Amino acid sequence: MNKRFINFLLTLLFVILVGTWIYTSVRDEFLKQSRTAQRRTVETVAAGYPEPEDVDDWLKRLADEAREYSVVFVSEIPMPGEKLNAAPKGDKELAELTEKSALDLEFSKGFDNAAYEEIYRASNNWTVGTKEKQAIFFAPAVSLKTHEIEGALVFAFNTEGEQNFMRMLNTLFFGAFILFAVVIWQLMLSRDPIVGFALAGLFLMTLVFVAYPLFEALRLSFVENGKFSLSIWKTILNSEGYLSALWGSLKLGCWTATFSTIVGFLFAFVVARTNAPCKKLISTMGVLPVISPPFSLTLSIILLFGNNGLITRWLRVIGLDFSIYGLPGLVIVQTMGMFPIAFLTLSGVLQAIDSTYEEASLNLSAGRFKTFSSITFPLAVPGLLSSWLLVFTTSLADFANPLLLAGDLKVLSLESYIEVTGMNRLGHGAALSILLLLPTLTAFLAQRFWVSKRSYVTVTGKPSGRITELTTPLVRRILTGIIFVIVFLLILLYGTIFAGCFVKNWGIDYTFSLENITEAVTRSRDALFDTVTLAAIATPIAGITAMIAALLIIRRKFHGKRLLEMLLMTPFALPGTLVGISYILAFNHAPIILVGTAAIIIINYVIRELPVGIEGGIASLRQIDPSIEEAATDLGADQATVFRTIVLPLVRPAFLSSLSYTFVRSMTAVSAVIFLISAKWYHLTVLIYNFSENLRFGLASVLSTVLIIIVFSAFGLMRLLVRENVNLMKSVN
Amino acid sequence: MANTKSKSVTFENITKIFRDTQSKQDVKAVDNVSFRLEPGELVTLLGPSGCGKSTILRMLSGFEQPTSGKIMIGDNDVTFTPPNKRDTAMVFQSYGLFPHKDVFHNVSYGLELRKVPAAEINEKVNKFLEMVGLEAMGQRPPSRLSGGQQQRVALARSLIVEPSVLLLDEPLSNLDALLREQMRVEIRRLQKSLSITAMYVTHDRVEAMSLSDRIIVMKSGHIMQVGTPSEIYRDPVDTFVAGFVGKVAFFPCEVKGIENSACTVELAGKKFTSPRYSEKLKAGGKALIMARPESLSLGEAGSGVEDGIVSANIYLGNSVETWVKTDLGNVLVQIDNPDVKKIWDEGKKVSLSFEPSLTKVLVDDLDA
Repeated sequence: MNKRFINFLLTLLFVILVGTWIYTSVRDEFLKQSRTAQRRTVETVAAGYPEPEDVDDWLKRLADEAREYSVVFVSEIPMPGEKLNAAPKGDKELAELTEKSALDLEFSKGFDNAAYEEIYRASNNWTVGTKEKQAIFFAPAVSLKTHEIEGALVFAFNTEGEQNFMRMLNTLFFGAFILFAVVIWQLMLSRDPIVGFALAGLFLMTLVFVAYPLFEALRLSFVENGKFSLSIWKTILNSEGYLSALWGSLKLGCWTATFSTIVGFLFAFVVARTNAPCKKLISTMGVLPVISPPFSLTLSIILLFGNNGLITRWLRVIGLDFSIYGLPGLVIVQTMGMFPIAFLTLSGVLQAIDSTYEEASLNLSAGRFKTFSSITFPLAVPGLLSSWLLVFTTSLADFANPLLLAGDLKVLSLESYIEVTGMNRLGHGAALSILLLLPTLTAFLAQRFWVSKRSYVTVTGKPSGRITELTTPLVRRILTGIIFVIVFLLILLYGTIFAGCFVKNWGIDYTFSLENITEAVTRSRDALFDTVTLAAIATPIAGITAMIAALLIIRRKFHGKRLLEMLLMTPFALPGTLVGISYILAFNHAPIILVGTAAIIIINYVIRELPVGIEGGIASLRQIDPSIEEAATDLGADQATVFRTIVLPLVRPAFLSSLSYTFVRSMTAVSAVIFLISAKWYHLTVLIYNFSENLRFGLASVLSTVLIIIVFSAFGLMRLLVRENVNLMKSVN
Repeated sequence: MANTKSKSVTFENITKIFRDTQSKQDVKAVDNVSFRLEPGELVTLLGPSGCGKSTILRMLSGFEQPTSGKIMIGDNDVTFTPPNKRDTAMVFQSYGLFPHKDVFHNVSYGLELRKVPAAEINEKVNKFLEMVGLEAMGQRPPSRLSGGQQQRVALARSLIVEPSVLLLDEPLSNLDALLREQMRVEIRRLQKSLSITAMYVTHDRVEAMSLSDRIIVMKSGHIMQVGTPSEIYRDPVDTFVAGFVGKVAFFPCEVKGIENSACTVELAGKKFTSPRYSEKLKAGGKALIMARPESLSLGEAGSGVEDGIVSANIYLGNSVETWVKTDLGNVLVQIDNPDVKKIWDEGKKVSLSFEPSLTKVLVDDLDA
C-alpha cells in the first residue's frame, strides 16, 4: 500500500512537472506573440512620425484611430536623472504618468533606449489614469527629413486580452491537473477504477449543476453593486406587492391541495374499496391529467370560460357575468391537473389497508359507516396528509397555469419570472424564488420526517385482494355519479382542445377550418424539432445516470454518500423557476458559460428528472439479490460489464419508466426552461404560451394536441415494453 | 479429468476489522488467522454464525479486503486483487443465478467474458450441464427450476470457468433435508473428479464431516482447530470444538498422572486411562473427561460413574437415543442395535459408564 502511494506521488510529481513545462511554454509563447505584435505596432506608428509642426495633428489622428493603445510625444529626451523639460503631448492620462514617472528607473531606461533609436518595453504593468495593467513602450521619434531624433514616443497598450487569456489558461490547467490527479488516483490506488470514476463524475456533476447554481442564486440575492447587501431582501420583505404574492401562492396552494385531496380520495376510495363499475376508466382518467402537457387544461378552460369563451357567452345571455382569471379559475385548473397526485398516493395507501381490519370491525358489529369513520379513514389519515403536502408543493411550484390564468392574483413563481424577464432584476427574481422554496421545503420535510413516520401502512407486498364492501348501493351510486361528472368534465376539456384545432377563430368565428393546422405546422417546425431533439438527448443520459447513481447508492460504501444522495435528490424539491433563475445566474459568466446553448437545457432536464429515476432504480435494486451481481463479478466481469449485462437488464422496468418519465417531462417542461431557451433553441410549450398570449388559440390548440399525442404515445410505448419484460423479471428468489 | 490448474491457498496472519456504523466501534471479524489449503483439497470452515467464516470466504473471493495480512493463491499474492481478476469461482448461498438469462446462458456467462469461441462454448456448456444432470433444461429460465436444480446450475456455472479455487458459501442451506444429502454427494463427486481446490463454508457439522478432507473450526474470529473430520471428532482441542462437532457429555474428574502418552484420571472413586488428553493438563489438577453418545452405556443405578433418570427414548431404527437426566445435565446415550440390547424405560434410575479408550481428557473451561 505504501509503495503504491509513493508511486502515486511520483506520478503526480511527473504530471506536475510536465504540466508546468507545457503551461509555461504556452504562456511564454503567447506573451511573446502578443508583445511582438505590440512592438511591431510601435515600430509602424513611430515610423509615421511627421515633421514637428504636424505633430499635434498626427497625435490627434492617432488618438481617434487607435483603439488598443494610447500615445504621447516627448519633445526633448531627458538625460538620466533629469525631469522633463516640456509637458508631453497627446493622451492626457499617459502624459500625466510620463511626467510623474520621468525619474523612474524604467522610464529612464526607456528614454535612454529611445535616444539610441531602440524600442523598449518597460517591465511590469502600469496604471495609466483609470486604466489598469497597461504595457508601456518607448520609441524614438525620428524626423523623416533630417534623420535626427527629435524626441521620444511613449505608448501604453491595453493588456486586458492578455490578462483574460492568462486567467483562462490558469483555470484550464488547474482543472486539467485536478482531473489528472483524480484519474491517476483511481487508476493507481483503487481496486475499482470504474466505480471511482463514476463516483467522481456524479460528485462533480452535482456540485457543478446543483450546488453551485443554488449557491449563486443565494449569493446574488445578498449582493448589490458587487457588494454584500441586505437591500434586496429588505425590499422584498417590506414591499406589499411581493408579500401579497407570497400570500397568493400560499392561498392557492391550500385551496388546490384541499380540493385535490378530496377528489383524489374519492377516486381512490371508489377504485380501491368498492365494486363500482368502469373502474378501469376511472383509474385511467384519474391518472391522465398528470402526464398531460402544461397549458392544455388552462387553454381549454380559457376556450370554454374565458372572456370570449363558449360557455361564458351562454352564461352572459342568461345574465351571469364572471371572470375565470384569478384565484377560483386557478384552483379549478390546478385541481383538475393535480388531483391525480392525490389519487395515486391514496390508492396506494387504501390498497395497502388490509380488508381484515374492516372485517374485524364489522364482525364486532360496528356499522358500515362506523367502520369507515373509525377504521378505514383513520388509517388513511397519514396518506391524506402526505398527499395534501405533495399537491401543496406542486401547486406552489406551478408556473404554467398562473402564467395564463392568474389575472390580478399575484403568485411567487410568476412574480420571480416577471422580475427576471420583465425588469431584468435577477437578484430580486432569485430572492423571490428562494422565498418560494421555504414553504415547499417545509412541506417536503414535514412529509419526509413527520407524516411518513405516522404511517400505519406496512408494506407486506401481499395485498389480500379481497374487498370488503363498505358502501351501500345508494352511496356507491352517488359517489360514482360525482366521479363521472368529473370524468366527463375532463373529457370535455380535452375535447375542447381537440375541437380548437379545427375552428377558424375561437370566440369569434366557429366555422370549420384546417388553416390553424397548416399555419401551426409551418410556424412550429423548428421549435418542435428543438424540443424533441433536446428531450431525446437528455433522456438516455438521465436514464443511465439514474441507474448508475441508484446502483452506487444501494450497493457501495463510500465517503460522502449522504451528501451525494442529498445533492442528487435536492432538485426534486426545487421549484422550476428557482432552477431556471439559478442556472442563468450561474452559467452566464466565467468559469462556465452555457447560457444560450443547448447544453444548459439538456443539463437542466437531466438534473431535474434524475431524482425520480434514482428512486425507481433504488426501489428496483432493493428487490434484486446482491449475490447476482457478485456472481457476475466473481466470474470475471468488471463493473462496467456487470452494469451492462446484469444490472441494466434486471432494472429494465425502472430504467424504461425513468426514460419515458424524463422524455415526457422534458417535452412538457415550462417553468425552468422558459428562462433557458434562446433564439437558437426554442421550446414548444413556450410557443404555446406565446400563441395563447396573442389570443391565437387555434394555433395553441394544435400544438397542445401534438404534445398530448407525443406524450401519450411515449407512455404507451413504455407500458408495452415493460409488460413484455414482466415474465423475465420473476426473480429466482 | 484431472485438474492441473488446481492451486494451493494460503492465508498469512489475516485480520479483518469492520467498523460498526451504529455503535461506531471496530469489530474484529477475523483475528490473525493463518492456514493453508493444499491443491485439490476440500476444506470446510465450520463455526457458529458470526465466527468470521463467511468473511474469510469473501476475502478469498475478493469481495472484502483484509485489514492486514496476506492472501496467496498458488504463488500469486492476491490480497488486493479485485474479485473479477481472481481465479476463484463462488457458489452463493442464494445461488445468485441471473434471472434474465436461461440456464444455458447462465452457465456460459463466464466463458463469454473470456471471449471463448461460440462453438467451444456450446460444447463445453452442454458437457457441464450433462455433468450436473441438467442437459434437458438449457432453455429454461432459472425461475422454472427446483431448488436443487438451481443449485446444480450455480455449480456448473462456477465449475465451467475452471477456477483455481472453488468457493462454496453454505450452498445447501436453502434445500430440504433429502436434497441436501443428495447434493452433498454430488458436490463431493464433482470436486473429486475435477480435483479442484475447494473451500466450503457451513455451520452444519454433518455437512462438514461428510464432505471435507479437512475441517477448520472457528469461533469469534479465531481458528480453534484444524484437522480431518475424525481428528476433530475424536480429538477436539477443547470443550467448544467437542460440543460443536457432535453430541457430547463431560464428566468432571481429577488428573492422577500422565505417562506413556496416556492420561489417568479419577472419577467417582474409579480410575480410568484415556489415550487422548490435552497437553495443558497437569497431574493433580481438575479436568473433564469427554465421552460421545456411542461410547456411553447404561447400567443399574450405582454401577457407573454418574446416576440419573431416563427422561426420553427416541427410536431411530438402527439405534435408540436415550436421554438421561443427571446432575451434570441431560446426557445423550446412543444404543446401537436396539433390538438385541436392553432399553431402559422412561423414569427408570440408571447409571452411566463409558468406554475409556474412546474418551479424551480436556481442560475444564466450561465456566470460562
